Amino acid sequence: MINRFANNHLEIEFSSKIKTGEDVCGDDFKSKFIAAEGRYISVLSDGLGSGIKASLLSNMVTTMALKFVEDNVDFLASAEIMMDSLPICEVRKISYATFTIVDAMIDGTTKIIEMDNPHFIHLRGTAEVEHDMKTLVSDRWNDRKIYVSEFKMKHGDRLIFFSDGVSQAGLGQRGHKFGWKREGCLDYIKYLVSQDEDISARKLSQQITTKACTFNPNNRKIDDISCGVAYYREPRRTILLTGPPYKESSDSEFADIIRYFKGKKIICGGTTASIISRELKREILTDIKNKNGFLPMTSEMKGVNLVTEGILTLTELAKYLESGETKETAPSIKELVELFHESDIVDFVVGTRVNIAHQDPTLPVDLEIRRNIVKKIKVILEINYRKIVNVRYI
Amino acid sequence: MKKIDVKICVGTTCYVMGAFQLQHLEDFLDKKSLENVNISGAPCLGCCQDKNYENAPFVEIDGDIIANATIVKIIKEIEERLK
Ligand code: FES
Repeated sequence: MINRFANNHLEIEFSSKIKTGEDVCGDDFKSKFIAAEGRYISVLSDGLGSGIKASLLSNMVTTMALKFVEDNVDFLASAEIMMDSLPICEVRKISYATFTIVDAMIDGTTKIIEMDNPHFIHLRGTAEVEHDMKTLVSDRWNDRKIYVSEFKMKHGDRLIFFSDGVSQAGLGQRGHKFGWKREGCLDYIKYLVSQDEDISARKLSQQITTKACTFNPNNRKIDDISCGVAYYREPRRTILLTGPPYKESSDSEFADIIRYFKGKKIICGGTTASIISRELKREILTDIKNKNGFLPMTSEMKGVNLVTEGILTLTELAKYLESGETKETAPSIKELVELFHESDIVDFVVGTRVNIAHQDPTLPVDLEIRRNIVKKIKVILEINYRKIVNVRYI
Repeated sequence: MKKIDVKICVGTTCYVMGAFQLQHLEDFLDKKSLENVNISGAPCLGCCQDKNYENAPFVEIDGDIIANATIVKIIKEIEERLK
């Protein structure tokens, strides 16, 4: 799989801020990577109103849209089904759904389908690329127009799409009578990209929503504010080695993985680190001052970004990721997670030599089996973090 | 005089068998010992591999392995060497 996509990657990230006074966000964003097709589908929907009702509506839309697009259902027909199934707005007598759908292939072929959200932005460097759009109108819902844009992205291109909470931020305020508007937002995005041409989709989306919050006094949010960014470029890779290889004769091949890998490198495991240190003749330094909360301290090795202990660290990593990064944790876990955040492809190389000590029932702690924890982490990184994860046993 | 090298294993087995406490060795050393030791951590020293693991945690002092290491044991070893 890796080779086929070797040089192309679409980083898709999303940021949202909840309307002041509400508990849940009325906008919803869903994204899916279909590895077999090399296809990324993302949907942003803004539910009518705010709070839980809006959240339900937008969730219905994103869930349905994602499924329809994935199954290649005729889009007009899908839109009709969605509008038919949503409640009708009392005032405007329309079934309320807005959406922006980004359907992109790994080779850059992209289709964007929009209804009632602010028009998306396609940025190449700091210049906006404009597209001709096809308009679709349903016979039954003829006051709603659906716009379809089709084009091919190049490396370095970004797609930015947001709810009207962004373009209308500051509405009615002095200097922003009509809100920040799409143009204002576009200028700000161009500015951010000119300051940092490699800015990740994650950081860009966060900075846009954060900025949108500043247009009202006391950062009051008069609507849910959501922004998605897709950034098409070469993938950034990280490799994580954990556990000694099953056959000792594979030790040098194992160490060569660290020697030749292009990207960020992580070693989780004391024996693993010792083997690599011996094979590559690179010293390991474990400074006693590197206290690491309740987990064993980290070490340093030339050419490796992070060296940690194995099972306890990976177990905690899985728990922390599972908690949605909300639980208290050790510094090494935060470093690991930051490395994952800034990568697109994570390769795990799991050594399968068993340490009998770990299986002893008299140990004061239950130690999980390495393979199982890695499996768990893989699933979370794929589903919650939309990373491409490969696991290899050695 | 060359300092005494004390390596505390913080590999998984040693850590769960007590190395967690050993990390704080410094806090228990007197001034003379402190000035004459070089304390560091170590990823798995390799001693837990064989049937030997029951004797974790392990600490290496100038190349000698101390099994079932405790703070008291380590301090004694250091003092012995400083005599
Ligand atoms: S974990 Fe300490 S010797 Fe292996």
